[in-house]
Amino acid sequence: MTEDLDPVIHAPARLRVVATLAALARGDEVAFPRLRKLLDMTAGNLSTHLRKLEDAGYVRVTKTHEGRVPATYLALTDRGRAAFAEYQTALTNLLKGAGHE
Amino acid sequence: MDDHGTSSDDAFDPADSLRVIREQTDRAREATEPDGRVMFGAWGLAWLVGYLAMWTSARETGAPEPWAGFVLAGTIVGATALTIVHSTTRASGVRGASARVGAMYGWTWFLGFTVYGMVLGAMFRAGASWEVVATAANGFACLIVGLMYIAGGLLFGEIRMYAVGAWMLVTAAVAAFAGMPHTYLVMALAGGGGFLVMVVVEQVIRARRRGLAPAGPPATSPPATGGGSSD
Repeated sequence: MTEDLDPVIHAPARLRVVATLAALARGDEVAFPRLRKLLDMTAGNLSTHLRKLEDAGYVRVTKTHEGRVPATYLALTDRGRAAFAEYQTALTNLLKGAGHE
Repeated sequence: MDDHGTSSDDAFDPADSLRVIREQTDRAREATEPDGRVMFGAWGLAWLVGYLAMWTSARETGAPEPWAGFVLAGTIVGATALTIVHSTTRASGVRGASARVGAMYGWTWFLGFTVYGMVLGAMFRAGASWEVVATAANGFACLIVGLMYIAGGLLFGEIRMYAVGAWMLVTAAVAAFAGMPHTYLVMALAGGGGFLVMVVVEQVIRARRRGLAPAGPPATSPPATGGGSSD
């Protein structure tokens, strides 16, 4: 049953990351420290999950400088948004018991 | 190191997933979007206190005393500062399209009220009596606020902002025709009162949303507090 769900998204920590990024308006990105605060995750843990999401093409990582301080911004890619929408549809179907067609 | 996310990848129920999505979406929106209660509350109090001061002092002497003008200016400056601090704090760490739109919206307020002051000054210079200038000051203030709230409603898809804007346009007309010194009372009660009614509306909506929150397995984390998940 649950193997129909996208394994990249279907893990508690990554699901929270994706849901948070999806709550931002399209065209917006969030700084790493702010995202960490919104999720209450350790920096190491968040980095690990972001790398997996980036490898899957779901998250775009932008490295930049603010003054002389390096900053990292994260956003969901169009592909990531689509994958999250599909995941939610699959989830709803699964819960309705319609997943066995 | 805390790594609960990767170790429990498989043991994760679909119903839990839905709850996690809902909670985290609410939490993210709540944390990054301005709180309507704070915004409406600050402006409601500013108008109520400021214009009541103007009305009280104008009723006694026929025209507002300087002290009342300072009270009004003080409450407006206070509400402006609170608005800027609150909205930039909420949006901190987020950049992109909405930040640009938000900045342009903020600067439009500033531009609008700068020009407002200049036009009033020009009217005075052209020989308008203080009573005419005061009528214009109240009417134009409501007109600008009304149109800016309507613009905000359109921009951010916020129907409640739009409604407040429409109400402020009505207030502009009533305040202009109320005449001295009652125009100030209209500003305080209809204008300030209108904002304060919205604080109650926002609160009721939040309470209702929390009440309707997820059926499903008992929450293991604190319940999410309202916030824009309906669309």
